[in-house]
This record gives sequence, structure tokens and C-alpha cells, in this order.
Amino acid sequence: MGLNMRYLELRRKIREVRMWAIQGIAEAGSGHPGASFSAAEIMGTLYFRKMRYDPKNPDLEDRDYFINSKAHSAPGYYSTLAVAGFFPPEELKTLRKLGSRLQGHPVRHSEYQKNHSVPGVEYSGGSLGIGLSVGIGIALASRLDNKKSRVYVMIGDGEANEGQVWEASMAAAKFKLENFVAILDRNRIQQDGFAEDIMPIDPTKDKWAAFNWQVFEVDGHRVEQIMDALAKADETHDKPVMIIANTVKGNGIRHMANNPQWHGKAPSKKQLPLLLEELESEYLIAPSIIAGVRENYEEKIKLVEREGVELIHLDVMDGKFVPNSTFLADTIKKLRRVTSLPFDAHLMIEKPLDHIDEYIDARCDIVTVHAEACNENEFAQIKDKLIAAGISPGVAINPPTQFPEWLYPHLKDIDTVTVMSVNPGFSGQKFMPEVLPKMMALNKDLRERGFRGYIEADGGIDSVTLQQVYDAGARIFVAGSAVYKNSNSDIHSAIIELRHEAAVTLERKLIDHATRLGVRKEWMNARKHILIPYATRLGIKGELHAIE
Amino acid sequence: MQLSNAKKLADMRGAYGETLVELGKSDSRIVCVGGDTTDSLKTKKFGDKFPERMFNVGIAEANLVSIAAGLAIAGKIAFASTYAAFIPGRCVDQIRNTICYPNLDVKLVVSHSGLTVGPDGASHQQIEDMSTTRAMPNMRVISPADAVSTKHLIRMVATTPGPFYVRLVRPATGLVYPESASADQFKLGRGNIIVDGSDATIIACGLMVEKAIEAADVLKRENSLSCRVVDMFTVKPIDVDLVARCAAQTGMIVTAEEHNIIGGLGSAVAEAASETNPVPIKRVGVPDMFGESARDEEVDDLLEKYGLTTKEIARAVLEVRSRIKK
Repeated sequence: MGLNMRYLELRRKIREVRMWAIQGIAEAGSGHPGASFSAAEIMGTLYFRKMRYDPKNPDLEDRDYFINSKAHSAPGYYSTLAVAGFFPPEELKTLRKLGSRLQGHPVRHSEYQKNHSVPGVEYSGGSLGIGLSVGIGIALASRLDNKKSRVYVMIGDGEANEGQVWEASMAAAKFKLENFVAILDRNRIQQDGFAEDIMPIDPTKDKWAAFNWQVFEVDGHRVEQIMDALAKADETHDKPVMIIANTVKGNGIRHMANNPQWHGKAPSKKQLPLLLEELESEYLIAPSIIAGVRENYEEKIKLVEREGVELIHLDVMDGKFVPNSTFLADTIKKLRRVTSLPFDAHLMIEKPLDHIDEYIDARCDIVTVHAEACNENEFAQIKDKLIAAGISPGVAINPPTQFPEWLYPHLKDIDTVTVMSVNPGFSGQKFMPEVLPKMMALNKDLRERGFRGYIEADGGIDSVTLQQVYDAGARIFVAGSAVYKNSNSDIHSAIIELRHEAAVTLERKLIDHATRLGVRKEWMNARKHILIPYATRLGIKGELHAIE
Repeated sequence: MQLSNAKKLADMRGAYGETLVELGKSDSRIVCVGGDTTDSLKTKKFGDKFPERMFNVGIAEANLVSIAAGLAIAGKIAFASTYAAFIPGRCVDQIRNTICYPNLDVKLVVSHSGLTVGPDGASHQQIEDMSTTRAMPNMRVISPADAVSTKHLIRMVATTPGPFYVRLVRPATGLVYPESASADQFKLGRGNIIVDGSDATIIACGLMVEKAIEAADVLKRENSLSCRVVDMFTVKPIDVDLVARCAAQTGMIVTAEEHNIIGGLGSAVAEAASETNPVPIKRVGVPDMFGESARDEEVDDLLEKYGLTTKEIARAVLEVRSRIKK
């Protein structure tokens, strides 16, 4: 039992977690946004993808356990439990209030504490340094009872100042707890400032290795990397596993990110809609590796991976559905070894149903098929197969195609809708601006019909058109020639430029929104260090100066 | 209640160790966590019998009690044992937040409480433990008088859900109860009248019960006083009804404990009496000061130096009586 969410679903749910958490904190007027946000992907990946549990039966015998030792991340933890189905997310609005089940620090749920806790909470935290030990006790008991349960304990880096953490680290190794995984939320900030100034814990990796743990290190905001490490943990024997998750405190809201001031401060309620809009505006860049010189795909993947892109877009062309041919599933299978980045496969092929198993087998994370290439019955089968395999189903429509009504019943299960802004089959075509109103209308219409996924813009996306599709509601940007122009194109600058334009678009949108809310000045004040690099572009140089 | 031959000595720790093994045979949920003191605590026997259910975590008491909490979360009845100096001395926070707050099935059974720890000195003489544990919501505090009651109380603790703190002492002590004593004499929250009397009540716990009995005997012989002696093995929840009854029937109370006079049995009795039937009270215990080393053969001198004797209890009874008369 578990949610086993698909990649895009997982991302969307983690975004929802951040939104609920910040609402709870703003409503309560206190709480820890920093730690809630640094740990969002860690907890989200565990609850939405990895762990075995049943929200309807929290005492499930063979469940996996999560111990939130850094319990001040409570708003994020509660939101994760709520989104996972343990209780209604609306309850987040009672956070930290008198009589609430959502105490400032979570309380183990039991009949005895039912008025001060929510189902799913296994451990009463708040005092740091204890959760690892408690996790060890659970792991020992599970092993004694021959249960399949695995125990996951999240600790903080400030928390690792506590001596008991190291007592526990010795004990877990002594007992050879192979059903035990600790995850360090390494956000490098604690209450008084930067962790390495307050009490250095580096070289962290060496320390845990020296304490006889198996150590993996990941980017703690990359669910695919967390998933990889958790899978490796499953295969580790005779020792406990430590996953060092390098994270950014406050990640998700730009002016809170990596800023010690936001360790334990609540945002003003008036600014809440802006924070929600920023979270909702999270976007993914998906370079299309067929652009530019059509060879050396492995190297092209590695180049963009270094630039921190979110997805690899794979344009599969069979020479039949489109006049051109690129590569098929066998190539994807080989590329899979190169990176842990999610693969966004766009199948421009005839009879996709006949080949879908090959793409599942190639371990794509998103598989998009063309509405023009299948009928409802075929699409339903494709979608079912993908969902069963934990892969995000997508559907693409060509510029002249209207979104077919036969897809409406399946909207709930579609994770991405690709709106083509060129006619597919060739790279390097010009963006078709007439697609913009279609995208905007479609976004609105589909949302009203229950679509919760991403709108993906594909075709002629560059730093100029990105702004337009972003405004029109797209959140995945397929970038081809804008990234891989030719064999010696400056990929680094190209990605920076795309991100810069996305930032300008977002900041403009947020300032306009702040103006409508009557909090323009307060917003600019809170946000000034973020806004300075864009001041000229946004025409707010004088205003920012006045705030200074 | 019949008194046994009071001079027969027996070891509380030995009784604990044996009982734990018996409990382990009948209930597979019983597990034990030790901290490099399993030989001394006699939990080693349990470990020999059930090696897979015994966890020695070394000298790390915070870790020890927290692992016990984890075992309890996963359905075990976890005994956590070392010296009183370290549980609760080293891990009050863990006991409070990790065991008491979620009301877990963790049984803290410690030895070497009080002054009688041998030559180790004040660092190891835990005289504040009942005070700290008694103030924690959900915690129950037990101080057995001898090896026979230890055996029964360990069973009671194992079969009653929720956290317990049980303080044992290092030296062998005289038996207060006959070996034939039955389990129903040891109910949570109920004190036992060991000797009945009408002129005064001496309420004691731990090894001071034996001394209280002796004091009652002395007062009878030398002062013709009829003293009631109560073994208040449950320091929390204190037997309020019994305290109120003793106050009403004997008009005064002396308490005796191998603990600081602040926060332990004396305080608990004074609280109960003052809210039900206020009468003059005198607390016999360590007079809010640190102890010191003493060799085993000097243990009686040590107790005398810090006022934990039969003589001191008898003197306290007489002092309170003279106060009443004025």
C-alpha cells in the first residue's frame, strides 16, 4: 500500500504541500516556513511515492514508518500528511491555534492524544536529536517481528549538533539496521544563522561513513535523485543508510530561500495570495536533445544536467506520423543510464498503443502521445498502462487541432497537455503566435473540467516566446534550438537567459498582483533583493531606490 | 499484615532480573534496553535467555530511553535500565517528551537510587529522581520496599499500560513482606499499612520502610506510642485516601525516604494531607544537600550522617507530638 505517484503528480502534490503549509503559517502568524520548504521534496517523495501505508488504517501492520525528528518542519509535515489523505488539508488553517489537532510540534497520534494530534504522526517531536534513536527502536522491533517495515527518519543539520544523534549513529551501525534510513535535510541554516558558523558538522559525509553507515548524497529538491537514493537504500545490506539531502531553506519562495531570517517567521496574511501565486508558477525547463546537431545525445544530456534543468525532452519520430525520423525506445533505454533526470518522451509515432510497452520498458517518466494518433479506446489503454507503471501520461495536440472532447473523461489522469506551437516533425521552426489564445483558453477550460496537470509548451520556445507561453499558463517549456543552437553553442548562457526571462515574467506578474491587492510597496520591500537585478526591465528602479 | 523475619536480606535487583526473565517467557512483547550496566542491573539474565530481545546501547542514556520509546511505538513493552544517576539524571527531556507525552509503554527500572550506592560518592547518589519524574504528566513513580515487593511490582508495571519509573537500591535489604505475599497486595496507587497504630503514622518508601518499622518498634518500647507504618510504594499516584485516613486517625504524619526531602515522598504526602486533612508533618530524608563516598561497611554511618535512620524517624515522631502538645 502506498500512493506511488507519477513524476508530475508527485511534483504537483509537493507544490500543494508548500501552498497548504504557507497558508497554515500565515494564518497562525508563526511557524517555520524555512524547514517546511527545505524538506518538502524529502517528505513528499517518501509519502507520495515510496512508503507503504494506508491513510484509512494508520496502524497497518507492515507499514513503513516516518519519524520527523526535526519537528519544527511541522507545517510541511502536516501538509504532506493531509495531501496524502490522513486528514482534510483545510485543517491546516487551525495550525498552532488553541484547541487545534495541529500542535506547534506534532504529537504522536493515539486514543490518548486524539485531540492534539492527527492520524499518521508516529512520534512526538520538538526536542531535537531524539528521532534517530526512536527510529532505531522501531526498526529493532520490526526486525524482531519479521515485519517488512522500513523506518525513515528525517533529521536537520542544526539538529546534528545534539550529541544524541551520534549516540544513535553508533547504535544503528552496531545493530546492522538494514531496514533503517536516515535523511539529513542539509539546508545549512539554523536559528542563529549559517550552520557551519554556529557548529560545523562538515565533513558530514565522511563522519557518517566513519560511523559505519552507507552514505548517499543527493540534491534534496530533486525527487528523482531522492527516489534513486531510496532505491539504493533498499539494496543496502548489513548497515543503516544515510541520505544527505542538500537543500535550500525556504525553497519555493524566492525571497525566503536560503535566508536565515525566514527560519521561523510567518509571512503577512496580506501577502499570502502572492506567495501562493509564486508557488503555483513553478515551471520546468525541458531541453529537447534533437535540436542542433543530431548526434552525441549523451553529451547533450550531461551538458544541460549541469545547468540544473528539470527534464530531458525526447522527441520520438517514426518517419510515418511525421515525415522525419529521430530515435525510438531502444535509444532511450541506452540514454537512461546517463542521468537520473526525468525523461519526458514525446511520441510522434503512428499506433502508439502498439509500442507503448517499449517506452514503459525504457523507463520514461512522462510519455506523451498525440491526440491525432489515437482514438479514445486506444488512449484509455495507453493511459492505463502508463499509470500502472507509475509513468505520467501526457497528450499532445498539433497547432490546428482542437482539444478533442473524447479526452474530457480522462482529464483527471492526464498529467500534461502539450500544446504544439509548431507543426511537429522538424526542429528549428518559428513559434506560431496564434497558438497563445488557444493555450490560454484551453488552460482555463481544462481546469474547469478538473484537469490538474501541466500545460507544456513545445515549439519555437526561446527567451521571448517563453514569456508569452508562461503568461498563457504553460509550466513546462520545451526548449530546443534555444539551448542547442549548434555544435559550439553556449548552453550555459542559453539556460540562464531562459530562466532570467521566466523570472522577469513572474516578478512582473507578482508586482501587478501586489498592486491589485494594495500591497505593492510592502511586497517590493520584502522582495527588494530579488527585484534589484530586474529593476530596469520592470521599470521599478526609482521605486526600489525609494524603498532603500 | 504479617511481618516476616525482618533480618532476612534480599536483593531488589536480583528480584527484578528474575522477574523479567519470567515475564519474558510468558510475553514475547517484553524487551529490555541496557546501558553497559546489565550485569549490575541483573538484566543480563534476560539477555542470556532472550538475546534477540536485549539491546545493550552502551553508555548513552538519552539514546537508551529513546530506543525504548521506539520499541514501544512498534508494540513492545520496553524495560529500560541503568543507574538512577543516569535515568532520569541524564535524560529528563527524553523521558518527558518522548515517553510521557505520548504515554508510551516504557518501564524505566533503575538501581542505585539514593545514598546507598557504595563508595562512588555524590555524583552517583541520585536523590532528585522522584522529584523530576513525579512532576511529569502520565508518569507513575514506584519505590519498592524490598525484594518481595519488587517482584510483584515489576509484574504490575509490566501489565499496566503506560510509563513507569521504578527506583531500586543497590544494597540487599531486609524483607518487609513474607515471601508468600500475593500480587493483590501491590496495587498501583494503594499504600499498605504494615503495622497498625493510632498515635502517629510513619509513611515510608524504599529501604526506609524497614527503618520505619524499627522506629515504630522503638517508640512502642521506649515511649509507649502506637505508630502506624505505611509502605507507600506508589509515590505517584499517591494514595490520597490512605494519607487522609492516616491524618484523621493518627493526627500526625512523619515521612521517610532515601531522597531529598524536596519533591519526593514527603512532598507528595504533604500535598495530599494538606488538601484533605491537614495535620502536622515532618519529612525525614536527605536534607537538601549532596552526599559523599562511603565504603560498603560504612553504609550505616553514611545514612546516620545524613539523617536516614531509625533513630531519626523516632525523633521526628516525638518532635511532631511535642509540637502538637504546645
